Amino acid sequence: MTNDPRVDDYLARLRKALTGMSLSEREDIVEEIRMHIRERAGDSPSSIGEVLAGLGPAAELAEQYRTGLLLQKARRSVSPLLILRAAMRWALTGVEGMVVFLVAIVGYLTGVAFLLLALLKPLFPQRTGLWVGPGAFEFTVRMGALPVSTPALHEVLGWWFMPVCAVLGSFALIGTTKLIQILMRRFRWRTPLAQAMLASGTLAAGWGSLT
Amino acid sequence: MAKQVPIPVEADSSEKWEAQMRKGCLEMAVLSSLWHGRLYGLEILRALERDSQLILSEGTIYPILNRLRAEGLLTSQWVEAEAGHPRKYYDLTPSGRERATRMAEMWTEFSAGLGSLIEPVLKAARKSSRDNGRSRKELLL
Repeated sequence: MTNDPRVDDYLARLRKALTGMSLSEREDIVEEIRMHIRERAGDSPSSIGEVLAGLGPAAELAEQYRTGLLLQKARRSVSPLLILRAAMRWALTGVEGMVVFLVAIVGYLTGVAFLLLALLKPLFPQRTGLWVGPGAFEFTVRMGALPVSTPALHEVLGWWFMPVCAVLGSFALIGTTKLIQILMRRFRWRTPLAQAMLASGTLAAGWGSLT
Repeated sequence: MAKQVPIPVEADSSEKWEAQMRKGCLEMAVLSSLWHGRLYGLEILRALERDSQLILSEGTIYPILNRLRAEGLLTSQWVEAEAGHPRKYYDLTPSGRERATRMAEMWTEFSAGLGSLIEPVLKAARKSSRDNGRSRKELLL
């Protein structure tokens, strides 16, 4: 029965691992799992171990809950931090997640880099800007302690560099957010079922309805 | 004696493919299991096992139900059961029904299209297995 200390211990570990959600949400999940154990175990205390093994480790179960809800929130959110966290967790589950994570990293880093340049221009006006060289299209953004007195290059944009960088940075951030949301909807979130099924050995079972 | 060479890569990739296929169908299977009315987690697991041979680890179903509920495809309600303890029942929302319908249509179209493509493969496989059976019989005679 659920008075078994192994059940209490399992539920305590599950509760502890269910971070990032409201208290009522957490208790609702714990209660549902408690009832599942109770119903599955019936009156035979010897089967408690099997029921808990069927549920998998508490930390992994909590991870599945958290990942699903995080991505759900990220689909609706415009917060780059939330989207990055969701993409990072998604990246651990497969190629699709990895692609989304890389897109997020490249997009947000580009956006942040442009915004930083816009902020650095008034601080280091001689070193921050867009320089164009003769011949082939050649440009350099020089910052920090680098020498800027190469005669073959001349600066273009001038103080327009700031708004241009601010606009490009904002476009990169907004564009990345929109793109990630489209990818999330397109790929759909998939729970790490493959691992769960492999762990429970159910891959050996047939899929008769397909044939 | 010929030495047996294991082929782990091939076996592994076909297992992965099967897992991916099942994974892709899981949401449709869960939504479809609720088509006739509300069920609680364990009943959904049993329905999937009984009607589709889709056997899941028990810990897999609850996070999926939770996510589908968060997406607005399912509703949930605690109901005091005769068993003496409450059960959390799940039911399809109108958008859940719509999603299940769309998925079922897409699945039917997809499998019908693929069916004609794989028909020669299956025919050849059946023929080969028949020929092998016949050869074994001849050897035994």
